[in-house]
Amino acid sequence: MIEVENLTKRYPTQVAVEDVSFSVREGEIVGFLGPNGAGKTTTMRVLTGFLPPTAGAARIAGHDIVRQSRRARSRLGYLPETAALYPELRVREYLAYRARLEEVPAGQVRARVEEVVDSCLLAEVADRKIENLSKGYRQRTALAGALVHRPPVLILDEPTVGLDPTQIIKIREMIRTLGRERAVLLSTHILPEVDAVCDRVLIIDRGRIVAEGTPGELRARLAGKPVVRAAFKGAVAVSEELARLPGVVSVEIAEDASETRARLECEADADLREEVFHMAVSKGWVLRELTLDVVSLEDVFVRLTRHDKAVPEAGPEPPAPAAPEETAAS
Amino acid sequence: MRKFLAIVGREWRAYFLSPLAWVILAAFLLLNGYVFTIILAVLNEPGAPKDQALLYLFANGFTSWFTLFLVPVIAMRLFPEERKSGTIEVLLTSPVTEGEVVLGKFVGALGFFLTLWAPSLVYVWILRSHAPIDLGPVAAAYLGIVLLGGYFVSVGTFASTLTKNQIVAAILTFALLVPIFSMGLLDYLIRDPKTRESLNYFNMWVHLEEFARGLVDTRRLVYYVSATVFFLFLATASLAAKKETP
Repeated sequence: MIEVENLTKRYPTQVAVEDVSFSVREGEIVGFLGPNGAGKTTTMRVLTGFLPPTAGAARIAGHDIVRQSRRARSRLGYLPETAALYPELRVREYLAYRARLEEVPAGQVRARVEEVVDSCLLAEVADRKIENLSKGYRQRTALAGALVHRPPVLILDEPTVGLDPTQIIKIREMIRTLGRERAVLLSTHILPEVDAVCDRVLIIDRGRIVAEGTPGELRARLAGKPVVRAAFKGAVAVSEELARLPGVVSVEIAEDASETRARLECEADADLREEVFHMAVSKGWVLRELTLDVVSLEDVFVRLTRHDKAVPEAGPEPPAPAAPEETAAS
Repeated sequence: MRKFLAIVGREWRAYFLSPLAWVILAAFLLLNGYVFTIILAVLNEPGAPKDQALLYLFANGFTSWFTLFLVPVIAMRLFPEERKSGTIEVLLTSPVTEGEVVLGKFVGALGFFLTLWAPSLVYVWILRSHAPIDLGPVAAAYLGIVLLGGYFVSVGTFASTLTKNQIVAAILTFALLVPIFSMGLLDYLIRDPKTRESLNYFNMWVHLEEFARGLVDTRRLVYYVSATVFFLFLATASLAAKKETP
C-alpha cells in the first residue's frame, strides 16, 4: 500500500532524507524508528504530499505522490506530529469538517463522525471545544480526524507523544486494531512502542535507513554475539578453563581480592550458562552470579545510531553552542 | 465544491468564534451609525438633495479609510494561524488543491467583511420609509462594496501566505493597500491631462461615488475583478512555492 523507491529530500542547506526505499503492505504496522532529526517527519511529509521529493518516487495505494497527488492524498489518513487542531471548534464540528474535506459523501458525514467518535472513545467530549480538552483527548480527536474517511493507508507521526501511560496503552490498542485491515506507518522514538505495536521496524539515522526487519530479527541480527556473565567468590584463575569451553569466542576477566568476574562472548545461538555451572561445580569455584545478557531493541538502536553523537564530539574544536536538533529537519 | 464550501464555512465561522470579530463589528457599527446620524442631519436641512442621501453611507472618507485598516486585520490570520498551529499540514495533505484552499479562505474572509456591512441594510430600510430611495443605486453601491472588499481581501490573502506571523501579514497587507488605494488620489496633484486621466482610472473614491450614484461602469468591473484574480493567483503560487521550504 505504501511503496517508496530511492526517495531523497534535500533542503538548501542539508540532506534530510537520502535514498530511502521501503514498503508497507496491507494489514501491516511498520514502525519508523530513529533519533530526533533523523528524517522521520520529513519522510512522512513527503509521503503525505506536504513536501515535494527532490528525487525518487513513492506510491500510496498505487497512486504516485507527485503525479497523482490528489488521488494519493485521498487514500491516506495523516496524523501530524503536533496533533494540529482548530481550538475554537467542537470535536464533532471538527470531525465533520475533516469528513467534508476528505470527500465523505454528504449523507454519510454524520454517520462517519459518530463512527470515529465511538472508535476513538470520544463520546464524553464530543460536544466540547477542542481548546478545553486534555492532551490525550486532543491526540485522539486528531487521530479520529485522520480516520473519518476510512483511509486504507495511515501515516501517524509520533501518535503517543505527550500522553500518560494509560492513554498510551489505549492509543496503541487502537492502532493495533486499525492495522489489521490497513497499512500503517508510524514514527516513534520510544522503543517499547515498536515492540508493542509494530510488525516490522525501519531504523533511520541521518536520513538513511540503517536497518529493517521484525523486532525479533533486528535483535538477532544486530545484537552481536550472546554474552554470559559470571561472578565467582575470591580470586580464582578461571580464564583459561572457561576459554576451553566449546562455543566460547573470548573471555574477559576482571578480578579483585574478593571476587572474580568473567564476561564470555559466545558463538551465535549458544547459551553456555549450564556449562559454566557444571565447570564451576567440578572445579569447586563458588558461583555468585550467572546471567545471559538479553539484548533489547534499545541496544540495537543505540548501537546503530551512536556514531551519530560521537562524530561531533570527536571534532578538534569544542562544539558550537547551537543545538543541532533545532536545525534538524524533523 | 463541497470541500471548498467546507473551507469557506470553517473560515467564516472562525471569525465569529474569536473576540476580534465582535470588536471589529462593534467598531464598524459605531462608525456607520455615526455616518448615518450625519446623513439624517443633512436630510433635515431644508432644501437638501434628498435623493442622494444614501450616497454618503457608502462614499465617504470614513468608510474608505476604515476599510483600509480593517482588511489587514481581517486577512492577517488566514494562513499564519494555520501555519502556527500546524493545521496547514492537515489542510494541504487532504485531497484539495492550493487553489481551492486560497479561494475558500478568500471567500470566507470576504464573507466576513460583507457580514459587517449587512446591518447597514437597516439604514436603507429606515431611510426608505422617510425619503424616496431608488433601490438601483443602492444595489450598485453594495456591488461597489463587494468589488472593493474583494480586491482588498485578495491582497490580504496574498500577503498572509508570505509569513507565519499575523502582525507581519497585517503590516504587509496595509503596505500593499496604501499605494493601491492612494494611487488614484495623485489624480488631484497632477496637471498633465493624460496622466490625470489614467490615474483617474485607479481612483477608488471616485469609483465608490460612481457606484453609489448607480453608475456601473464596465471598466471598473474589469479593474476590480482582474486585480482580485491576479492577487488570488499570486497567493496560490506563493502557497505552492512555500511547500518547498516548510
